Amino acid sequence: MRGDGAPISRLGGGSSPQALRDLVSSASSMLDGAWALFEDLASNGSAWHVGSSRSALNIIAVVFGVWIPHGRDLGVKRFGLLSKGHASMALYTWLAASKMIPVEELKSYLRLGSRLQAHPEAFKVPGIIVSTGSLGQGLSIANGIALASRIDGIPREIAVILGDGELDEGQVWEAAATASSKGLSNVTAIVDRNMTQHTGRTEDVKAKEPLDDRWRSFGWHVITVRNTFDEIVAALEEASAVDRPVAVIVRPRS
Amino acid sequence: MVVFESYRRAVSSILLELGERLEDLVVLDADTGRSTGSLAFGKKFPGRYVNVGISEQDLIGTAAGLALAGLRPVAMGFAMFLMRAFEQIRNTLARDRLNVKVIATHAGLSPHIDGASHQSLEDLALMRSIPGMTVVSPADFNSTRALVRAAVEDHVGPLYMRLGRDNAVHVYDNEDGFRIGGLRVVRDPVDIVIYAVGPMVGMSLEAARILETRGIRAGVVDVYTVKPIDSATITRLSTRTILSVTVEEHNTAGGLGGAVAEVLAEAGAGRLMRIGVHERFGTSSKTYLDLVESMGLTPREIAAKIESALATVGR
Repeated sequence: MRGDGAPISRLGGGSSPQALRDLVSSASSMLDGAWALFEDLASNGSAWHVGSSRSALNIIAVVFGVWIPHGRDLGVKRFGLLSKGHASMALYTWLAASKMIPVEELKSYLRLGSRLQAHPEAFKVPGIIVSTGSLGQGLSIANGIALASRIDGIPREIAVILGDGELDEGQVWEAAATASSKGLSNVTAIVDRNMTQHTGRTEDVKAKEPLDDRWRSFGWHVITVRNTFDEIVAALEEASAVDRPVAVIVRPRS
Repeated sequence: MVVFESYRRAVSSILLELGERLEDLVVLDADTGRSTGSLAFGKKFPGRYVNVGISEQDLIGTAAGLALAGLRPVAMGFAMFLMRAFEQIRNTLARDRLNVKVIATHAGLSPHIDGASHQSLEDLALMRSIPGMTVVSPADFNSTRALVRAAVEDHVGPLYMRLGRDNAVHVYDNEDGFRIGGLRVVRDPVDIVIYAVGPMVGMSLEAARILETRGIRAGVVDVYTVKPIDSATITRLSTRTILSVTVEEHNTAGGLGGAVAEVLAEAGAGRLMRIGVHERFGTSSKTYLDLVESMGLTPREIAAKIESALATVGR
């Protein structure tokens, strides 16, 4: 037991650059496949929260295709939480493209009896350790996993994917304050800043800006990138070296 | 006369003992540790105590994360405010069957000074409605210690425990014989059977003694596991008595009264009277007993209600 309450430093530096380059290159080509599957799924009558999934696909590919497997090289247990659970089209097409589930199975999406639930459920598909769907709850769960490392000494890092509309939920900010108060440098929040929520533009429904400052004022380090695979990879690499919780704000490409 | 013990002292003392034994036990609180008794654990095991601040939704999510990581979290707070996290309990703890114990103090009328905003009279109903949720409400000091131990040590999966503050009416002289899923017949029923929960077990025992002086032989059952309820025993006891009564420091809708009504109606097992708080909120009171009396829940009033109900049932 450590249980000494000391901040947990990230496990940087043990990284093998070649291993990372290999992961990036293979995930990048799988992502091309995922986009093709995504457009198929969107056009065959299974389109559901398409916009939310479209902006989340790059992020999901980086978290599940690069960041988590790279953790194994580094000797750290990494977890990805999809707090915006409605981005399931992106998750499942990524899992199919990366051969974690059969491509054929995408046909069962949203159908009665399928394990491909509209909002992903724990352990039904690879990589999903907690059920989501109700917004605003992923960051608290990430904090709990992160705190466990302080107690049992097992190194863990958690990336939690949040929607920007989801930030309306007060619990997100309860959790943001918890993460910085407890010095949870092993938590990264990735905000899919697609500028859109259910009934319209985020700034018309409930303003989020100045979003970077909001996170900073809660004691977080902020990295802002455009929504490209390469920029998100670089942001998560950069986040690894920061001794505070990090918010990666992923803004539209143009 | 009834003798009061402290629920929070009971839970505080047993968590300290469990903390010695269980290295994976983590206690969380939403900044109410001074009141719930969890702070003693925090002082003894600071590395395994998490105060998330005044944020109950975050409390439940954080506890969920600790459980996912393989630790053994106990999330504590006031019953009323833990209900802010009803949906987190439902959607994360229950749906994913996470091993988180939610221990609520200050339930029912026990925060008598605080008034309606703090007096949780709906939590059993809410928790009981969740699929797979185990709901426990111990009667007194010894049974609280025994059931917290059983919940933390032996029970795997989501569990809600309802405790008061310092209003535990003494019933048991030792900690033996309690198990999650059980109930206990504390006084054998002959004419009528009273199903009670929490501090109302002790109150009902006293009511049964009053009824005895009037020639009414009332038994008392401590239904400390509200869910899953022991419907077989309840059906058996109610079938051989002329009146069943529930007594709870909770809204009569959806709590113990609701649970027993469901069992008896489906079994066709006789007439039921529900005693509890009817369709109203609490209020501030300098003393607990004054408040309980205003709700008609003292032994004398319980006995009187049962006696008048018997007059209509016929003996």
